[in-house]
Amino acid sequence: MNNLDTLPKKKILSLFMTCGFPTLNQSKKVFNEMLSYQPDIIEFGLPFSDPMADGPIIQEANKLALRSKLSTQQSLNLIKELSKSKYNTSFVIMCYLNTVRKFGLNKFIKNIKSIVDGIIIVDLPFEEEDAIKKSLSKNNIHLIKLISPMTDKKRSQKLLKNSKGFIYYISATGITGSNKLDYKEINKNVKSIKKMSSVPVLVGFGIKSKKDVIDISKKTNADGVIIGSALIQKYFDIKMDFNKYLKSLKKFIQEVKI
Amino acid sequence: MKTYKQPNSVGRFGEFGGMYVSETLMPLLLNLDKSYKKIQKDKKFIKELNDLFKNYVGRPSSLHFAKNLSKYINGPRVYFKRDELNHTGAHKINNCLGQILLAKKMGKTRIIAETGAGQHGVATATVCALFGLPCYIYMGSKDIERQKPNVFRMKLLGATIIQVESGSKSLKDAMNEALRDWIKNVRDTFYIIGSTAGPHPYPKMVRDFQSVIGKEAREQILKVEKKLPDYLIACVGGGSNAMGLFYPFLNDKKVKIIGVEAAGRGAKTEETAATMTSGTPGILHGSYSYVLQDNDGQIKEAHSISAGLDYPGVGPEHSYLKDIKRVKYFGITDKEALEAFQTCSKLEGIIPALEPSHALAYLIKAFKNKHKNKVVILNLCGRGDKDLFTAAKAIGFDADE
Repeated sequence: MNNLDTLPKKKILSLFMTCGFPTLNQSKKVFNEMLSYQPDIIEFGLPFSDPMADGPIIQEANKLALRSKLSTQQSLNLIKELSKSKYNTSFVIMCYLNTVRKFGLNKFIKNIKSIVDGIIIVDLPFEEEDAIKKSLSKNNIHLIKLISPMTDKKRSQKLLKNSKGFIYYISATGITGSNKLDYKEINKNVKSIKKMSSVPVLVGFGIKSKKDVIDISKKTNADGVIIGSALIQKYFDIKMDFNKYLKSLKKFIQEVKI
Repeated sequence: MKTYKQPNSVGRFGEFGGMYVSETLMPLLLNLDKSYKKIQKDKKFIKELNDLFKNYVGRPSSLHFAKNLSKYINGPRVYFKRDELNHTGAHKINNCLGQILLAKKMGKTRIIAETGAGQHGVATATVCALFGLPCYIYMGSKDIERQKPNVFRMKLLGATIIQVESGSKSLKDAMNEALRDWIKNVRDTFYIIGSTAGPHPYPKMVRDFQSVIGKEAREQILKVEKKLPDYLIACVGGGSNAMGLFYPFLNDKKVKIIGVEAAGRGAKTEETAATMTSGTPGILHGSYSYVLQDNDGQIKEAHSISAGLDYPGVGPEHSYLKDIKRVKYFGITDKEALEAFQTCSKLEGIIPALEPSHALAYLIKAFKNKHKNKVVILNLCGRGDKDLFTAAKAIGFDADE
């Protein structure tokens, strides 16, 4: 069973959060709060010292998580613990390749097998993925693909061949947490992706509010959204008061669940 | 003998190198690779670059017989490849000219770069001024503090300096920020990487542009010594000056090659930048290579008195050359480099940058009273003006007086 294979048809909601942020114990509470809304997907970010493709907000979250020397094993244990109340929510790990490499691919898979449904390795391009993809698929874990507005049609076709789970469409050419959303361009590109692949297309990068979520749903052909930086931003907005953070997170998730 | 032919078509030096970047950058790198392949055969491009090398940079740089230092070492005859005499004071300009010509050909209108010591920043700002392109330089706040003269130079040349406060606030973090800028501005921006690091095609491209150093040195030494050198020595941070000197000699098996890394306060301490002595293979800045990292693959902060060597990674070709044992790598501490910095100044009347001072320190240490009648070429890849304040402070001289 892989929860990603039974995602709803429309209005898919994926919530991203960095593991161990702000601290390991508080992180458990954050994820439990998120899980209580049973979003379609939760993305667990494994903190990395040099998150090249992430913007300042997720960078800061990584830094805070790593300040208390959070290990990869601790992050994976956290995910395992949370999976007890997983139900229909899909669990997806988002990380950088060096984390997996250093931990050991087989050991990594052993730790997440039957717990995690998919994995996004941000800096693993299609050209380098073969061995990893094979090991993952043997264990029924989907390797999720990112498509950017810079990916041309020919490349998209290669990339999307046999894609599983969902497609992560990077809405703005930018790093996570950037601001501009160009609905026309998103719609055009999502449409073209959908011609090449039958799995859901989710739009990520730069989705910040209920309005953005509704607009993506109304103005584009996308099947859902991914929200990350905006969830973390709240923590800094309320001057890092953790109890207030949980409350504002609750309010925000209720809002974006359309 | 097998001819050296690296990297392969996807940027692999053996198992090292590659392109480990997000999908936002992949299409750009592939396009860059394609454009670079094209201009390599473009006669107009080659002519333009050679003209600039000759008339703007002042190439060929001379090969100076360091008589006094040779006498002091009482060992081999030491020659300096004097790339510190280049316009802008270091080897970095060779690569920047190549890349900006390529950027022009590709129709890019905005240039970004990272810098550690500021030499690459100055060289990039210089070529941007020459070609009239807006220039944004990412520089860690720690490096801004210790390389003030270069910060002012870049500003005079019209560049905008973007201060980087993340991580260790030095070269690694400047490169992260520059990569983020590129991801955000993919359409109009060209990223001039200053070292043989980063994703393919940068390690190859930068090596190729820098290999003018080794090509010249080869011709020059054959003229004066009527033979190839016995040893090549260069400092290695990311590794561009070293690759530039080494590359044209890789097929000459008799030429022994030595790369000198910055060991900071000691290769076995936590305060080091000696990636190949103290590191393990991993992925940093889009490339698989030796890197300073912990058991979880988190990249460690490097330390070196020399901002140009203060980098926890190294170009993938160096990792390959280490593993096939074609090049040997050694670490030199801050203290040893500072001593060599002074020795060279006094003996040869040349104030070297702190980066090649590491190579000089190794030469003095390892060749003292040894290897007589041998010939050594050392790449004096930068001059010391930028380091005067750092060195004065470390030596205990009040430079403000």
